[in-house]
Amino acid sequence: MNKPTSIRGGRSMEGDFAQLLGGSPRKAGLLIFAAIIALIVVWGLLTAFYTVQPEERAVVKRFGAVITITDPGLHFRLPFGIDQIQLVATERVLKQEFGFRTEGVRAGRTGYSAKAFEDESLMLTGDLNIIDLEWVVQYRINDPIKFLYAMREPTQTLRDISESVMRRVVGNRLGSDVLTVGRVEIQLLGRDEMQQIMDHYDAGIHIITVELQDVVPPPAVQPAFNEVNEARQERERMINEAQKRVNQEIPRAEGQALRTIAEAQGYATERVNRALGESSRFSAVLAEYQQAPEVTRSRLYLETLHEILPNIGQILVVQDDQLSPLPLLNLDRNRAPEVQP
Amino acid sequence: MKPMILVILLVVLAVIFNACVFVLDEADQAIIVQFGEPRGDIISEPGLKLKLPWQQVRRFDKRLLNWDGDVTQIPTLGREFILVDTTARWRIEDPLQFLRSVRDERGARTRLDDIIDSVVRDMVSSTELEEIIRSQDWSVDIGDLEDPALADRDDLDLQQKPKLGRELLEQEILQRARRLMPELGIALNDVRIKRVNYIDSVRRQVENRMIAERQSIAERFRAEGQGRAQEILGEMGRELQTIQSEAARQAEEIRGRADAEATRIYGQAFGADPEFYSFFRTLETYRTLGSNSTLMLRSDSDFFRYLERSQVE
Repeated sequence: MNKPTSIRGGRSMEGDFAQLLGGSPRKAGLLIFAAIIALIVVWGLLTAFYTVQPEERAVVKRFGAVITITDPGLHFRLPFGIDQIQLVATERVLKQEFGFRTEGVRAGRTGYSAKAFEDESLMLTGDLNIIDLEWVVQYRINDPIKFLYAMREPTQTLRDISESVMRRVVGNRLGSDVLTVGRVEIQLLGRDEMQQIMDHYDAGIHIITVELQDVVPPPAVQPAFNEVNEARQERERMINEAQKRVNQEIPRAEGQALRTIAEAQGYATERVNRALGESSRFSAVLAEYQQAPEVTRSRLYLETLHEILPNIGQILVVQDDQLSPLPLLNLDRNRAPEVQP
Repeated sequence: MKPMILVILLVVLAVIFNACVFVLDEADQAIIVQFGEPRGDIISEPGLKLKLPWQQVRRFDKRLLNWDGDVTQIPTLGREFILVDTTARWRIEDPLQFLRSVRDERGARTRLDDIIDSVVRDMVSSTELEEIIRSQDWSVDIGDLEDPALADRDDLDLQQKPKLGRELLEQEILQRARRLMPELGIALNDVRIKRVNYIDSVRRQVENRMIAERQSIAERFRAEGQGRAQEILGEMGRELQTIQSEAARQAEEIRGRADAEATRIYGQAFGADPEFYSFFRTLETYRTLGSNSTLMLRSDSDFFRYLERSQVE
């Protein structure tokens, strides 16, 4: 084999390298070439496969132009960046929060950021009052190609549109409405309008729901609103208490009335019965008297005196021509009878 | 063939390839620029494209773009100062024109700021606040107001339908702003009001008004409660009196009737022989004389009749 001569006087690079490897220069060159080819092949293999997760889809671009969408699984693509993959989570329900932020789950309970996000949540109602409204928009990406290539910032646009729509809907209602009965309507109307606008942009987003969270008067005014509720309850309480008193007093008075009447009736019965009794007793005695008047009269008189005289404390007998009386009977055993001349 | 030459050849090919071939992304449209001058048509189909090595590619976003204005303080027609935050969607419709007039997106945004801000300011300052907040289909049933404070508000006309309302106002802004867009190569898709709020000092005023309103409603409730309670108690008092006097009346009637009946019975019985009754009854009353009584009798009383002799005429 001829040793090639170089300009530098008898030694060549290949020759030196070959001597290092312990082989011929041609073989060395081939080895380097083979190594580079091998590296390229390996790199190619690495970039030729990709995985799509179950909740995703992949948008495949070849030389910048979208050619297809692939489903979950392992797929082949042209290597070296000829085919580019963009993964889009189409199966997941995504959400945007307004007026508040969820900050993860601690010990099983959802934690919320302490910040107020008043810029997002304060808005004007149709009667020019201020209200504090928090809401959540839940949506899905239903067309990944549109989502990526119809608008540059579809998510930010969704946020901007959501705020604009909510303010229009709330602004078209009275404040008291929004705080109470209007919630459901606002949610439905808001969802429909947002969807309409996003469709107009062809953004490839499907809005699932709009849910209102806290809807309250602004913080400075809340105590006054609470006061109204308390006053309303106080009114009920005052009325109830008055009614309660009525419910106690009236029955009691009615009971008292019945008692009064019953007492009178008792008196009446007693009075009449006593009269009947006494008069029938008299009539009986009268009948007897009429049978033998003289005797009966004397008898009654003497019987009575016989009964009462022993019990009388003092009896004084006065004689016509005497000035001071004579005590006849002494019933006071503790005293010696006084005899007066 | 020497391997080195092969490698050098490959490198040279790569450089040429790089200079003549470019990729246009799905999201972009492009213009070829040669020595500072645009050449040819707008390229909007994505893919692998060819150009001459001395030509440059200017790329422009093909998609709908977002514009978000600064929050500006504008007085309404009724002199209420409000903060307005607008957003808009726009597209680079004519990249050639775009390149010539504003050169790039940053330039475009500056122009959009100026144009849209000015239009919004004009429209807002010539419109009442109610027109900005409410929509065309605003309607209120005056008879069915749940909030009692609304009837007292004299800074508000609840019945008045807006001439334009929010949506039409936004459309009017869009129309006016659109007029200046073609010369920029821009298509304005829409302009929307994202946020409207009072400035701080006005907000405090409004909040105070809301507080005062609520307090007066609360007072009303309390007064109603008291009034109603007094009414109930008054009613109760009246009823109590009725019950009591009714019962007393009936009781007296019963007693009266009983007394009359008793008197009749007595009269009937005792009237058969009044003299005997008087005798009989008097004897009865003598029984009440007891140990604390002192009797003064004359010696010729009936009782002593037989004390001195046994026979009396």
